[in-house]
Amino acid sequence: MRNPENEGPQPLEQRLESAIVCSETSGERRFTFEIDSTSLRSAVETLKQKFPTLRFITISATDIGLDIEYLYHFDIDGKIISLRTFRPKEENVFESIIDIVPASGFIEREIVDLFGVKISNRPKEKSLLLTEDWPPEKHPLRRPLEGELPPKMRPVIEALITTSSVASISKFMFQRREKVGLPRTPPLALQDEQTLQEFQKVIRDTELDKKTGFDWKKKKLRY
Amino acid sequence: MGRYALFLGCQIPMRYPNLEVASRKVFEKTGLETLDMLGYSCCPEPVNSRLLDRTALLTISARNLAIAEKLGLDILTLCNGCYETLFEASDTLNHDPSQLKTVNDILKKSGKSYLGRTKVRHFVEALYEDIGINHIKKLVTKPQKLRVALHPGCHLYREHEGEDTDRKPEMMKELTLAIGAEIVDYGLEKLCCGYPTMLVDEEFSLRQRLLPKLKAIRESRAHLVVVACPACMMQFEMGQTMLTKFGLKYNIPCVSIIELLALSFGVPPLELHLDFHKIPPLPLALVREDT
Repeated sequence: MRNPENEGPQPLEQRLESAIVCSETSGERRFTFEIDSTSLRSAVETLKQKFPTLRFITISATDIGLDIEYLYHFDIDGKIISLRTFRPKEENVFESIIDIVPASGFIEREIVDLFGVKISNRPKEKSLLLTEDWPPEKHPLRRPLEGELPPKMRPVIEALITTSSVASISKFMFQRREKVGLPRTPPLALQDEQTLQEFQKVIRDTELDKKTGFDWKKKKLRY
Repeated sequence: MGRYALFLGCQIPMRYPNLEVASRKVFEKTGLETLDMLGYSCCPEPVNSRLLDRTALLTISARNLAIAEKLGLDILTLCNGCYETLFEASDTLNHDPSQLKTVNDILKKSGKSYLGRTKVRHFVEALYEDIGINHIKKLVTKPQKLRVALHPGCHLYREHEGEDTDRKPEMMKELTLAIGAEIVDYGLEKLCCGYPTMLVDEEFSLRQRLLPKLKAIRESRAHLVVVACPACMMQFEMGQTMLTKFGLKYNIPCVSIIELLALSFGVPPLELHLDFHKIPPLPLALVREDT
């Protein structure tokens, strides 16, 4: 059997390989790995296969506005390993690991009750914490879908990310520019698709899109 | 004579193209040479956006500074907000190697880099320092005999730490006097117009910031408000319309100092497309034309 005392964060990272988004160590015996949500189950499976002394502690969940953050805590011979993952609230679902770690059953049901999320990979069961007459649309730890930006700031940031300008872009104004003898399009990044994409790559690389909750597919904020 | 990379910002090209027209005409008349910054983006907006993420916002600014740097020119802004953002970004990045490295690590992913060489100037200081009051006086063919209330705008007071914050507002004053206008003293010149707070608390912005200024300006019997920033202009123009919902009626025209300069240099009012203004200053300009 492998000696877990020799397992610092590096060997564990190697085992979880591409599933890890980032990792942090907050002490000699405390390791947190951020895992892409699609790789969460395989990461748990990997941990279980590689560390026979793996012990499940609990799952903690927090509604952080646009997403729910899940932390899966495990003990390996005195070392605490947490796998952190985020699921968008629009999806409103998280995957059960009960088939890999049977002990997760109760806490998964608590999360369903408290956050109003659906759980996949296991049959629906009755409420564990909430009373039978509890209103089905209310969940004690669920917050509204909200990001960091106040309402009036949202169109400003949407415009910045989609067009490179915070002023609204309209055909009417392009026409008026021409009418007053100016080039139809000002030399902003939006003047050609390639430059706009280069500008938007800067937005992605600074993670301003994540911070503000911008949805690239819908080309608008998630809230 | 000055040569600059012209940073148009967002509001001027997409809301007040008349200011772009006026600026280009004034630069042509004075001999201030400008080159367009191809592919620039929002500076970004200095008050609310800046609270989001300092590194992200500095990186967007650095991308703009890098475009000018590649042209081998300093930046000339037509807007106080753009001036504030880019001034702070250049001041930070040109003197803080670790912050510059952080920003460049991000920029290099999209094939850009910033060496920390670009300086930023407001058009008021470029006209005052590069062209000079005496030369501007010589260019005046149609003195603007108006009583004007100056609103320099908060970010025009931006200076390096320890320097005279009244430097650029004083320049704006001298430019206004040079074109023959009379400046009224209404006592609230340094009060913010309220534009940045519009996104947070509209009533506060209108009633606690714009309204006291309008009252004082009306009492001073100024013909119009003169600004150096399109955002302040928007606040004065839109704000007066919005105040009607509180039963308050104001109709004081607002123009940019750059438009007054163009008029005084003999550019016909119709060529300046003053009809873009919400509160038309055109009749006022035409009256001046006739007299």
